[in-house]
Amino acid sequence: MKVLSKDKLETVFNRLAQESDVYVPMQRGEQSGFFSFLTYDAARDEIALDILNTYLPPKNIILPQTEKMYSFRQEGTKVNIEEVYEDSQPKIIFGIRGCDAKAVECLDMVFLTRGYEDSFYKSRRENTVIIANACYAPGPNCFCESMGIDPVNPRPADVIIRDTGNGTLVWEAASDKGKKISDQISEFLEEKDVKLPEAKQCQRQVAYDGVAEKLRDMFASPVWDKLSEPCQNCGICTYLCPTCYCFDIQVKSWGEEGYRFRCWDSCMYREYTQMAGGHNPRETGTERFRNRFLHKLEFFKERYGTSLCTGCGRCIIACPVGIDITNIVDLIKEVDAGA
Amino acid sequence: MMDIANKIKEIAKKLLESGEIDVFIAWEKGNFDYQTRPFFARTADDVEKIVFDEYSVHNLANFLLKYRDGKEKIGLVVKGCDSRGIVRLLEDSQFQRDRLYIVGVCCPGMKDPLQTMKDNSGLNKNPAADSLAAKCKSCIQPNPVIYDELLGEQQNPGIEGERFARVREIENMDAGERYQFFAGVLSQCIRCYACRQVCVACNCRTCIFDETRPQWVGRETSIEDNMMYHLVRASHMAGRCIECGECERVCPVNIPLMLINQKLVKDVSELYGPYEAGMEYIEGAKPPLSTYKENDPDDFI
Amino acid sequence: MHKCDCNPLVPDIVEVIEIVEETPDVKTFNVKSEKGVPFDVMPGQLAMLSLVPVGEAMFSVSWQEEKEYLQFAIKRVGLMTDELHKIDVGQQLGIRGPYGNGFPVEECKGKDMLFIGGGIGLAPLRSFIKYCFKHRQDYGKIQILYGSRSYADLCFKEELFEKWPGQKDTEVFVTIDNPEEGWDGHVGFVPSYLEEINPDPAGKIAVTCGPPIMIKFVLQALEKMGYTDEQVITTLEMRMKCGIGKCGRCNIGSEYICLDGPVFNLAQLKKLPPEW
Ligand code: SF4
Ligand code: SF4
Ligand code: SF4
Ligand code: SF4
Ligand code: SF4
Ligand code: FES
Repeated sequence: MKVLSKDKLETVFNRLAQESDVYVPMQRGEQSGFFSFLTYDAARDEIALDILNTYLPPKNIILPQTEKMYSFRQEGTKVNIEEVYEDSQPKIIFGIRGCDAKAVECLDMVFLTRGYEDSFYKSRRENTVIIANACYAPGPNCFCESMGIDPVNPRPADVIIRDTGNGTLVWEAASDKGKKISDQISEFLEEKDVKLPEAKQCQRQVAYDGVAEKLRDMFASPVWDKLSEPCQNCGICTYLCPTCYCFDIQVKSWGEEGYRFRCWDSCMYREYTQMAGGHNPRETGTERFRNRFLHKLEFFKERYGTSLCTGCGRCIIACPVGIDITNIVDLIKEVDAGA
Repeated sequence: MMDIANKIKEIAKKLLESGEIDVFIAWEKGNFDYQTRPFFARTADDVEKIVFDEYSVHNLANFLLKYRDGKEKIGLVVKGCDSRGIVRLLEDSQFQRDRLYIVGVCCPGMKDPLQTMKDNSGLNKNPAADSLAAKCKSCIQPNPVIYDELLGEQQNPGIEGERFARVREIENMDAGERYQFFAGVLSQCIRCYACRQVCVACNCRTCIFDETRPQWVGRETSIEDNMMYHLVRASHMAGRCIECGECERVCPVNIPLMLINQKLVKDVSELYGPYEAGMEYIEGAKPPLSTYKENDPDDFI
Repeated sequence: MHKCDCNPLVPDIVEVIEIVEETPDVKTFNVKSEKGVPFDVMPGQLAMLSLVPVGEAMFSVSWQEEKEYLQFAIKRVGLMTDELHKIDVGQQLGIRGPYGNGFPVEECKGKDMLFIGGGIGLAPLRSFIKYCFKHRQDYGKIQILYGSRSYADLCFKEELFEKWPGQKDTEVFVTIDNPEEGWDGHVGFVPSYLEEINPDPAGKIAVTCGPPIMIKFVLQALEKMGYTDEQVITTLEMRMKCGIGKCGRCNIGSEYICLDGPVFNLAQLKKLPPEW
């Protein structure tokens, strides 16, 4: 086995950072998230490969919250598109967990299949290397196994790292991109036999089987009224979700110049479906709440063949009123579909 | 607290059974000992689930906005800060007093289940000790100011140390330092608007941030747009924030919003006061910045 | 000029070559690019127009005139359309598309056609109506039923009153909501006029577009007259931003209206959650 000693990590990051923007899980103040190693400040940040996962998902690396698309200039009646900002800067996501890796796969399905390829996403994604961190001890809110993920074999991944718990990481290249990266840092990798920890099962299990199918008949069910009652439509669950991909397109202009950009949006917001003429197909908070859960659990599965929830547990942790998607799945299982 | 919880249940049951109210808003237990969450009881059976414990931190007054256009009568439990939220809604004519049955509880201070969820999630390298919620450490009014029934014994304000110490610290910075400070914290904002959603003082039907004709505040997560968001929201909170701390509590990226709110509380009180928002309900009374006179000497607006 | 032909979210540039005032709040814009039409469109397809510094909005293309220009009939309903109504000939706009499935022009071949429109809803139908006239031998009898609030609010008057009625085997029925001086035509709402006309469903396809409330009653009327769900086609409106099935907001159930729609027959619609 190829093994990387953890005390060489910073040196490895420095090496990789010569060519790529390396995103590393860090604790930054009260936040944990994937931050660029270029912004690493030892006085403020702690590298956090040893925590379960980061509170902020890594999705902004391939789908930035705000992304400039193109700039333009309008002089009199004439308009020119000046520059298109496709980002091809090589990136490495170091230490992504199985749930978030699967989320990248969901984003790939959205942005790269079904009729159109999204060029902005594509150029980012093609230049991104995924180094995934196998999970041997899922946390109290993880339920990725129930969503079809094997936490010790994260996919998609270019490299899989496995923490032995003894100051070393097992390093497995899992793709051509991964082999290239391995070559770049080969001088830090030793050949060694190490013992891996025993994989623990997720403490939370949820019976997702059959839920998508059952939900088909539950659009008009009164359960949504009851379930959504405590929801404040705050949108935290969608912004912190590694798979939520909805975006808005907006413009900023001053004088003759400006640029168009896109930014995350959420189906929890009223404005999201508000039409110029005044009609809003999802006027109430309950309708918006329902859309979120149906999209996660039913619609996405119908369209792309997999659920849009990967079981990362972030929405459970961060919801200010304690709404828990696993409780909702359980309840859906229980209720009589017609009722 | 068990006592109080039992009394709340008794009251809720009586009100629901007699048909005096349609829904009773309180708390229930979630999946963990430390997870207490808002709960909406509509039947006597539901009432069995009601709890009131050291994690009943949420300001339930905000939920009244869900029912503002209806006719339902609502019972709810409020602590000191939450009760000021009710005054806020009544002063803003967002709710009618006679649709409410208010059960006030004198509050000994609460812990925040959201913080505890985070600390126990494994996603935080430096979990905090399970202690009193930040807002309770600057609480000036633990006892409800408006209620139909009052439970528990009068409590002393939980405020620790000098009230505006942190505000003074920022005031004493020079302009450059202050800008750096705010640029630093506000650049973290992900503009989810959760702080607005949970706020009783944010009760406009169409919020300026959702307005699209014209769009007043850009939606980029840039320092300019983020500052604009926070400046506008802060100015709308002046004289209206009742210091329930919900905004800061729910913020997913820990923006110190109470620092901004406290500055406003302090300034409004110094300039137009002494004044503390929502401390008593007097029919027709308005907070200092909510009145308008035609002969106002200032021609702004 | 830097222009990337491969990026579906970056617009081409077109110029407005003619503006026609249809009604007090509807104008028709003819636009062309350097090469003529920026892209080919089928009836019922959509395009994202942008007044570049102001905003983008999705419109149904109301006609493609050969390789010359595209035509959009646009009603003033919001910020972007307000601004569009202020521009003059010569203004350059951004455009991207074509989006959506469009009307099933092939499947309708050999059928009698019944078009039922209300207000600005005639704009998308018009592309199909004109297509039928252009390929007149492929379609049977054509009936057009159109209504608006008042005479002034009727779009495409020249076609309605002069061009279309003169076509072979074609009937045009026009109605306005309330009586009005100088109007000796039919008065009343579209759905009730439809029931009066009572067009026989045999061998016919009905295509309808208009305000949601009109559509609702038209669908009921058609059902009463014996039209099957497969015989009834409509085109939906949702808020759209990307047009390419990525941004999420135009979904009804698992379908994205910008990509899988906007045209559906009633049988397809009934399988979707009732959010339309
Ligand atoms: S985080 Fe919770 S309260 Fe906020 S929108 Fe999501 S489910 Fe609703
Ligand atoms: S829905 Fe919740 S648990 Fe599922 S992937 Fe999103 S944040 Fe994670
Ligand atoms: S849940 Fe809502 S915000 Fe998330 S991807 Fe689906 S529609 Fe978009
Ligand atoms: S601004 Fe914050 S503390 Fe003030 S009332 Fe609103 S939620 Fe409560
Ligand atoms: S809750 Fe926090 S992150 Fe969200 S908008 Fe408010 S300050 Fe920003
Ligand atoms: S408009 Fe973006 S998905 Fe349809």
